[in-house]
Amino acid sequence: MKSRLKAMALILSLIMTTAALAAQQAYKLRVDGLACPFCAYGIEKKLGAVKGVERIEVDIGAGTVTVTMAEGATLDEAAAGKAVKEAGFSLRSFERVQAAPPSAPGGQAK
Amino acid sequence: MRLQTAFKAGRNILVVLAVVIAGGWHAFIPAAKEPPYEFVTTWGEKGGAPGQFNDPTGIAVAGEEVFVADSRNGRIQVFDLEGRFRRQIGTPGRGPGELGRPMNLTVHEGDLYVAEYFNDRIQVFGLDGTPKRIIGKPGSGPGEFNAPGGVAVTPNGDLLVADFYNHRIQRLGADGGFVRQWGTTGHIGMWAEEFNYPTDVALGPDGTLYVADGYNDRIQAFGPGGAFLRKWGGPFAINIFGPFNGWFATVTNLTVDRKGQVFAADFYNHRIQKFAADGTFLSGFGARGSGPGQFNHAIAVAVAADGTVFAADFGNNRIEKWRQAK
Repeated sequence: MKSRLKAMALILSLIMTTAALAAQQAYKLRVDGLACPFCAYGIEKKLGAVKGVERIEVDIGAGTVTVTMAEGATLDEAAAGKAVKEAGFSLRSFERVQAAPPSAPGGQAK
Repeated sequence: MRLQTAFKAGRNILVVLAVVIAGGWHAFIPAAKEPPYEFVTTWGEKGGAPGQFNDPTGIAVAGEEVFVADSRNGRIQVFDLEGRFRRQIGTPGRGPGELGRPMNLTVHEGDLYVAEYFNDRIQVFGLDGTPKRIIGKPGSGPGEFNAPGGVAVTPNGDLLVADFYNHRIQRLGADGGFVRQWGTTGHIGMWAEEFNYPTDVALGPDGTLYVADGYNDRIQAFGPGGAFLRKWGGPFAINIFGPFNGWFATVTNLTVDRKGQVFAADFYNHRIQKFAADGTFLSGFGARGSGPGQFNHAIAVAVAADGTVFAADFGNNRIEKWRQAK
């Protein structure tokens, strides 16, 4: 009985770990001076070229960019910083956040 | 005695300062030389349906029609001069006939030229929406683009392209063959013939090339042979931005009317400014807001044959129509 419970717990934890790994990862990047579409689109374009990026949403008012990755993919801070720099900006902060469903139509960049 | 001398010296300094300030104000902040423009009407709101916009970024007028680059919706919408929807051109994507963040537009001899920021190309459509040809590809070599912002077409069909991230203006043949460029690829500068994220170009009736030198907050003009003519925008036009007449806070679009007068979208100042061909300030209109006659970032402007002005109001997702007071 005890060993059966152990096996079930192991299977459950494996399922949970796999689900967590497969879940989409999202990141919030803070970048200054995003109001002009020439700048905002530039950030979207450069980040959109990073491998594994599935969706990008820019909040011009807050000066933030939320990057959602494809399932199983992660975003490296150095890669994000490089893309932001190539767009002509500096990355102020980088944090992992919970992935949310897409908001407004056209909010994706790829 | 010493106190008297100090007082006199101080007074003289104040007088000189006042003269300098008054002279500077007169020299650097010109008064309007034309009657003001009056707001006529507006249309549009945020959304994806016909007549709605998700980031209007470019505008052009041809005959009785207004073409609007509806950027995030990946399409060009066509309206009559009263704002009634007629048709749309393109869908989001990368293939022929598809659009990746269309920006400034130009109409030349019955064709619509679209600068595609995401697809690094210029796409040409018939005014009915028929895709005709594609010029350019991603890169920084001759004939390649890194986020083109705007295009103008010479009488012989050559293309002049504001190559935004390459900090240059390229002249290409109608087939895309490289002819020449202004600016050094990848180099930002604030002196004459240097650029800082150029956003758009326009051609005057005499062949003068005007460049919206976006983040240098100025306009640069080049003669038909390509030689630098002049620049304007703030004191000495060296990347000094501000809200005064003749100053800019990021120029995102240029249009030249039939008389050769230059209209500029002054993005962060939420207004349109109008200049004579030599850069003399003539008039300006618009203020920040979402009410009639206000802009939430004026991004592009076009002028109809009768002088009516249409402007894209980026943040309010609408088009505004203006006319000059008599």
